[in-house]
Parts: sequence; structure tokens; C-alpha cells
Amino acid sequence: MDGIHDLGGMHGFGRIDPETDEPRFHAEWERRMFGLMMAAFATGIFNVDEFRHAIECMAPAEYLTTSYYEHWLHSLEQVMLEKGEISRAELELSWSKAAEGLA
Amino acid sequence: MLVLPADKVISTFTASGSLRVDSDIAAKFKSGDSVVVRTMHSSGHTRLPRYLRGKRGVIHMDHGVFGLPDSKAHGQGERLQHVYNVRFAAGELWGRAYAFERDSVHVDMWDDYLEPV
Repeated sequence: MDGIHDLGGMHGFGRIDPETDEPRFHAEWERRMFGLMMAAFATGIFNVDEFRHAIECMAPAEYLTTSYYEHWLHSLEQVMLEKGEISRAELELSWSKAAEGLA
Repeated sequence: MLVLPADKVISTFTASGSLRVDSDIAAKFKSGDSVVVRTMHSSGHTRLPRYLRGKRGVIHMDHGVFGLPDSKAHGQGERLQHVYNVRFAAGELWGRAYAFERDSVHVDMWDDYLEPV
């Protein structure tokens, strides 16, 4: 699809500036996100192409203002909804629980 | 729901990760062939970057047979076909005035993305 993810050849994003001694994860939640995705992927419920397409379908402004592992979270939520493994109500309940945890 | 048991985690993630399929499906192209990339504005998934549409390149190597992501992303089956590494001259992609002559870009491309020149 002609989505915002297809950035090759575009200008205006600034220079690529690799971190020195880049850590594998920048926060503990990223480590958990990695484990969650890998465990879900290993079940074979979805394939890598479905995973990538769910990221491409993010709203363009949201895609550009969220991080790599936030893209993974969005995709995992979407494919699990699409495959019927979780319900919209379960997902919204987990969001509100997470919000309470932050309050 | 399927689960990944704790005692299978290490073996699962240290196993070979290639999605290459053993198949005698014929390749449409061979190394050295000139190709042109199809122009297609599918609203579904593809591994074909927009900046390559309509560009000419040369088959660099044949990776073997793989499923087509454009199909697999939408539950439409594997549609097995060859995947090639294709070389594009930087000038072909960005314009000769904006590229160094010695530079090139290599991209992995499925048979369905390519036409003979």
C-alpha cells in the first residue's frame, strides 16, 4: 500500500545518527514487548506479512510520532483482534487497567 | 489458544529462520537479465518500495523460492515464486545529476514485481 511507512527516497527527516553503544532496549517495557511478540509469533496465529501490514495500516501521524516497539504493540493488538484471539472489550479493559496503573 | 511452553523457547528461537521453500518452480529470470519493475498501486501489503516502480535494474542473484508477502499478508496463500536480488544504478533511481555513478542499490524482489525489458 502507498502508506507513510514507505519512506525510501523521502527528504526532510534529518540525518541518520546512530547511537554509540546502543542498548538492546531503551526501556523495560520494550523488553517485555519483544518477548510478548515473539511468544505470540511462535504460536503461528499470524505470519510476518500480516504483522507488517498491520503496522502499515497505522494512521500516518500516529506512525510518525511513535517508536519502533509502539509499532509492534499496535500490530500485535490488531492481528489478535483480527484473528479473534482477543475481543475489543478485553483490549479496552487492559488499556483502562494500564491507565489506572499510571494514575 | 496455542501457547509457546517455556521449555520450547530456546529451541524455537535458535532454529533456522529461513522461509525459503524447496521447490522446482521455474525462475522467470536469471543473473544478468535486465528487468523493469511493475507499476502497481495495490492498497494491500507489498515488499515493493514505491521509489522502484517503473525503474530498470539487473538480476544480481537468485535467492530461491519463497511465498509472496502480497498474498500471505491477506490469507490468500503462498503463491510460491523466485526472489531475486536486483541491482539498480543510483542514477536510475535518483537521477544522474543527484547520484554518484559508481553507486547502486540492491533490493530483493519477487517474480511478480518484475517484467523483462
